[in-house]
Amino acid sequence: MRAIPLLTLWLSSWFALSAHADEAQDWLTRLGRAEQQQSFEGTFVYERNGSFSTHDIWHRVQDGHVRERLLQLDGAAQEALRVDGRTQCVSSVLVAGLASSSDTPSRALDPQKLTQFYELAVIGKSRVAGRNAVIVSISPRDQYRFGFELHLDRETALPLKSLLLNDQGQLLERFQYTRLDTRAVPSDQDLQPGRECSPVAVASSKVSSTPVTQVWHLDWLPPGFQQISAVTRKDTQTKATVDSLMYDDGLARFSVFLESAKGADVNETRAQLGPTVAVSRRLNTVEGEMMVTVVGEIPIGTAERIALSVRSGKAAAKP
Amino acid sequence: MSRDALQESLSAVMDNEADELELRRVLNAFDDAETRDTWSRYQVARAVMHKDLLIPRLDIAAAVSAALADEAVPAKAARGPWRSLGRLAVAASVTVAVLAGVRLYNQDEIAGNELAQQTQQPVMAGPQVKGPAVLAGYKESSDTTGPMANGVLQGQSGWQDQRLPGYLRQHAQESASKGTESALPYARAASQENR
Repeated sequence: MRAIPLLTLWLSSWFALSAHADEAQDWLTRLGRAEQQQSFEGTFVYERNGSFSTHDIWHRVQDGHVRERLLQLDGAAQEALRVDGRTQCVSSVLVAGLASSSDTPSRALDPQKLTQFYELAVIGKSRVAGRNAVIVSISPRDQYRFGFELHLDRETALPLKSLLLNDQGQLLERFQYTRLDTRAVPSDQDLQPGRECSPVAVASSKVSSTPVTQVWHLDWLPPGFQQISAVTRKDTQTKATVDSLMYDDGLARFSVFLESAKGADVNETRAQLGPTVAVSRRLNTVEGEMMVTVVGEIPIGTAERIALSVRSGKAAAKP
Repeated sequence: MSRDALQESLSAVMDNEADELELRRVLNAFDDAETRDTWSRYQVARAVMHKDLLIPRLDIAAAVSAALADEAVPAKAARGPWRSLGRLAVAASVTVAVLAGVRLYNQDEIAGNELAQQTQQPVMAGPQVKGPAVLAGYKESSDTTGPMANGVLQGQSGWQDQRLPGYLRQHAQESASKGTESALPYARAASQENR
């Protein structure tokens, strides 16, 4: 008889838990839709180790098209204009290497897929930029990725604050609105980029004879990561050809860069810039020594292991 | 056996993800000093990630081996109580070696950090020991010099100075163009231009 209250207790706690997870999923689904449906303007700050910057954003949804302009408020007036997820122009400093990849549309957030590799939960409420918010935690189920803490606007589900945390719970970066107005619809003038914003041109050197994916493959990938792009480009400054592959798990992303070392005196490197790590190492191939560099918002151990698993050749990549 | 495969196996063993074959591969290669070096470097990297720093050079395996080697093999003839006593002695000295190692390994965080700074491990740059993730004490962007002034960089050379900023930029900008999480990748990309 004693089992019955225990069972009810267990069942109710189980339902409560799954309800929490479902609630978190709903919030993320709303977040994914919010930017396609909601016009707004505001100001946000971005902070990581060694850097703090403030930006204005204008975001307009009209006739099914999303126009967004971003302008950095301190230091150089960096600017970007994006229409339906495609970058139209960026201020001169931002150009380089972006061009060839900008023609692929951005991917939508898929909470269902995320639950395979992250635990989603609503963990509380907060107040950001004078607005009420719910806190959704996205914590990794393994040690190969970082966790997020999102503070979503209760009214619109827009992300008011986003924190990136490592496995120790240390803060790696902070993105946070200080002002958000969801009632105002930005005018044409607000969305007009300045003269510094130069149009993104399609790179002429992007065509390569062999698809990059056939030349390189990874023996090991953190679970859930998929390749989302493969590009060969010529660096304008160094004149070197660089192959790059990009992978994501629906949230985190990393890139693998491959470039001939050409006998240069190169050291293997490990670097960390706020949330972004870079690990490079030498790789001997039939065509000579190459440098493999893994860059991404992933733990350094993951990057290290990816860098070790890069192989040349046409063998099929394991999922 | 290629070096790459071995390193990968080492990495897998460290992540507790090695299969039987990989574990055997690593154990076989463990007599090799270079392999042991790599292993201890991975351990340091891992320790830094987990923020429990230790004495990197301390090699428990070597200490245990030494303890075993020093121990006289109990004579075959010695049956009876003396034999088990001999065994106990071996076990005890191994235990002491391990315990001593563990004690040193698990110094509390602060002591560990100090130790690491004193020993000046060539593999690890000082700031990284403090944790790669610290937002506190950030500098205004205009104060910074050099392409990677804010980052923790090791094994720095001309090549990296040239290439890494470009790689970081390309990654950030490509992320921004593929981004699902709103303005965040843009802000990341922009922050890399602020030097």
